[in-house]
This record gives sequence, structure tokens and C-alpha cells, in this order.
Amino acid sequence: MTQALLSQGTPAAVEGRLFDVLHAACQSEWTKLRTVRSTTWALVVTVVSTVGLGVLLTALVVGHWGQQSVYVRNGFDPLLYSYAGLNVAQLCIGVLGVLVMTSEYATGVIKLTFGATPQRRVLLGAKVLTFSAVIAIVSLVSCVTAFFICQALLVAKHAGLSITDPGVLRAVLGGPVRMVLIGVIAIGVGAIVRHTAGAVAILFTVLLIVPGLVQLLPAPWNNDITRYLPSSAGAAMSAVVRFPNLLAPSAGFFVLLAYAAATIGAAMVLLVRRDA
Amino acid sequence: MIDARNLTKRYGATLAVDDLSFSVEPGRVTGFLGPNGSGKSTTMRMIVGLDAPTSGAVTVAGRAYGSLRFPLHEVGALLDANAAHPSRSARNHLNWLADSNKIPRSRVDAVLGVVGLTDAAHRRVGELSLGMGQRLGIAAALLGDPAILILDEPINGLDPEGIVWVRHLLRSLATEGRTVLVSSHLMTEMSLTADHLIIIGRGRLLSSGSVADFIEQSAGHHVKVVTPDADALVVLLRDKGAVVTVDAPQELSVQGLESRDVGILAAGAGLTLYELSTEHASLEDAFMDVTRAHAEYRGTVQHVAGSPA
Repeated sequence: MTQALLSQGTPAAVEGRLFDVLHAACQSEWTKLRTVRSTTWALVVTVVSTVGLGVLLTALVVGHWGQQSVYVRNGFDPLLYSYAGLNVAQLCIGVLGVLVMTSEYATGVIKLTFGATPQRRVLLGAKVLTFSAVIAIVSLVSCVTAFFICQALLVAKHAGLSITDPGVLRAVLGGPVRMVLIGVIAIGVGAIVRHTAGAVAILFTVLLIVPGLVQLLPAPWNNDITRYLPSSAGAAMSAVVRFPNLLAPSAGFFVLLAYAAATIGAAMVLLVRRDA
Repeated sequence: MIDARNLTKRYGATLAVDDLSFSVEPGRVTGFLGPNGSGKSTTMRMIVGLDAPTSGAVTVAGRAYGSLRFPLHEVGALLDANAAHPSRSARNHLNWLADSNKIPRSRVDAVLGVVGLTDAAHRRVGELSLGMGQRLGIAAALLGDPAILILDEPINGLDPEGIVWVRHLLRSLATEGRTVLVSSHLMTEMSLTADHLIIIGRGRLLSSGSVADFIEQSAGHHVKVVTPDADALVVLLRDKGAVVTVDAPQELSVQGLESRDVGILAAGAGLTLYELSTEHASLEDAFMDVTRAHAEYRGTVQHVAGSPA
């Protein structure tokens, strides 16, 4: 048996479980991510927009507290303002996720990547795992930072949340989960479209333009459809107050997860079927 | 060892590779020749699993490339020297490749040394010259210390010193017992580097064999004669069954007789010769002969197919 193996290639090339391939591919993807400048810049913008916009909008609300109607204050979700920056951060993460795939097609690196890891589904899995880990850490830090600064500002108006209040920890963690799933969807779109401009256009259309268009539909279609859009499903995970156009937090999670799974599933089928 | 059997690749209506069978043996440099668009790059892409064959199969070391777990230990390929992220440093470009196949980082330093890029290792790929980029591509192919090397146009963009370096590198890799497949459109370079040739045209195999045999069989050689008595000599030579072409008023090109025979014949008739020499065809001539014949053959087929039957 050993003899047969030796005559059919170097053991180092032939042997190894798929898990070993996944492990090596993850290390390789991590090296790729941290050795290009675009990663650093996109992550810096992600952190700055998450914390900066959240604190700015919360400070404005606090500053104009007396002028707000009782109605608005009763329906006030303290986390909604703290997490306002996520609407910008998701675009940075989306672009970065798209680039994880499309920059390889643009530079021709994909030929080396597939040559080094012919198991293309495992490779896509490694890209998703590695990118998700990076986004999870970066967005967890920025979301938690935004939460504590903003709630400290709101304490003066007796409107702040405590992390120990019911549902608040879940809502805070919903931010990073939403960012990770948006990033995964972006990788999938990048793998399907293979061109940066096209993939970014599709992603921005879905995240920014479609929600606005759906709102123009007659009621109750507008809210019924909006609930199931990726942006609303993601926001639902971080809602402390229930809004009519948002799903329950757990339902929001599963809807966004389904979008991510469907995109990655389609990408895996296409990566294997298409020539590099 | 690379083994292609009935390899076929169709892109829509275009047949890029047409029922191509060949094997590339270890221990020698095999040149892969063909005019532009003849299917060389497509064939190489199929060998390393980037493109799937429409039919047929190709194996490396007896296996489909896609079944290899860490292929860089077995096969090193240079398909596109520009395939690198411009903002990544040369060393980091090799680092991620090494990581993907569990190759120790010490090999990165080793191959950077082999291709002469140690001092440029920190520079971003986008800042490298064409020749340095080509050397980085060769370093990537050598990274896993592979038994099989596949290089598409490796001397593109190299200066004369770099071309000589690649020639010696390929020869020494073959001498170490590795399988080396190298494509080029530069015939002269191939005649200096390759031991064996695989020649394709329009995706079909035209010829496969040693460089010397190929030149001999396709274009052969002729005898060049310069004489003031050209007219008389032509008559004598044609009587002996030689094919004679008059290149210039006093210059003849003779096929079918050796220079020795031509000399004896001229001396017997008392004819003066200024010059008598055997001219060997170049690989370029031979290549032109083979591909031209093939093109004419294809042209005829299309003509017949297009005429009303």
C-alpha cells in the first residue's frame, strides 16, 4: 500500500484529511487578509463609523431631549441610536467581504489559490471562517464600546440600558452577529459575481435601495416585505423595543442566516462548476 | 510524469483542445510549442485543475490534480506571472502560498534566494519590474520542491542574463529527475533548452519527439552551393534525382544529395565551386513547416465542408 502511494505522488501532496486542508487554507487566508492595506482601512472605517456615529446620534438625542414628544420618548429604543453606525459599518464590511473573492479574480491570484487548494468548497469555507472570525472580533469590540459610551450618555436622562436588563445582552450581541452574516453574504455575492463593481452594486442595492423602494409599496405590503429584507432582519436582532416593521430577534437571526446560507450554497455550486 | 489522454476542451463553438494525448516524462525538459491560440495555455490550465476538460482526462503522478490534498508538494506551476496582489510584499505573496500547503516558511527564504529576490523580498509586488515579477512566479512554482514543474512562457520579460538563468535552472531541475513542461513561442530558446517537444496546432497534436529528430524529419537539411557554373550543375544534380532550387544567380539549394556527392559530381564535370556547405534547418523552420502543413490541411477540410454537396 505504501509502495503504491509512493509511486503515485509525494506523501506530503497526497495524504491529509479534508480538515487538514481546511486548517491550512484558514492559515493561508489569514495571511492574505493581514498583508493587504485594504483590510486595515476597511476595518478602521468600520470601527470609527460604528462608535462615532452611534455616540454622535445619541449625544444629539440627549441634547434635544426636552424638545422630543412624549410619544417619541415612549417608543425610544436606546440601542437603536447606539447602533446607528452599523448601517454604515455593514457597507464597509460588505465591500471588504466582496473583495475577499473579487480581488483574487481581478489580480489573477484565484488561479494560484485554486491551484494550491483544489478543494474549492473547502477553500470557500476557509474564507468564510477566517473573515467571520476577524469581523466577529472587530465588530464585537466596536459594538460593545458604542453601547457603553452611548448608555452612559443616556443615564443622565434616565433612559440608559444596563447590559443586565432583560434582552439587552442578546440585543448587544446581535450587532456583531449581524455584521458577520452580512460579511458572509458579501463573500458569497463576490464568489458568484466575480467582479468587484458588479458585486458591490448588487450588495448596496439590496442593503440600501431595496428597503427604500419597498417602503413605497401600499400598506401592509411595505412592512410585511421589509421585515424579511436582510437589513431589517439584521436590525431586528438588536431591537430592544418591538417595531411593527421588524421581526422578533430570533426570527431576524434565522432569516439573515438563511440569506447567508443560500448565498454561500449557490457560490459553492458555481465555484465547483465553473472554470477558474 | 504528466499523462493526457484524449483531452478535449470546448468553449461554446470553439474547440480549444481537440482529442490531445501526450505524456511528459521525468528527467528531461519537454518543450510545449504551438502558435498563439493553439491551446497550450488551456491544456496547462486543465493539467492543474483550473479548467475542467469537456472530455478525456489528464493526470499528474498518476492522479487527477483535484484529488491532491496539498498539490504544491507535487506540482509547481507558473501560469501567469502577473497573478499576485500588487499591494502585498513579495515575501508575503509566497507566505500565503506556503501556508496553504503546510510548507515551512524556511522554504520561502530558500526560493527567494534561488530566484535572486532576497533583497527585494520586502518590496510590494506592484513595485517589481516585469522580470522580477517573472522571477517571483518561478519562486512560487518552486516553493513546494515539486517533482513536476509546469511553466507557461517563463522567460517573458526577462533580460538576457535572466533567460540564460532560466535555461540553466530548467536543465538542472530535469537533471535532478524532475518532470519539466515548459511552453514558449520562442523557438530558438526551445532548441537550446528542451530535450523533447510536444507541438500542437489548433488544439491537436502535430508532433511529439526529440528536438533533433523533429528538425531532421520535418525540415531536414540541404546543401548550399555557390558556383559560377550554376546552369550546368543544376542539370547534373537533377539527373541524379536531387531537388534543386536556385536561390540567387550563382547560388543553389540542393535537397536529396549530401555535400560529398555534390562535390564529387562537380569535380567530375570540371565545374568550379566557390562554396559547398550543409545547412541544417532551425527549429523555427521545422516548426513553420509543421504548422503550415497543418493549417493547409485544415483549410482544405473547411473548403470541402463549405461546398454544396
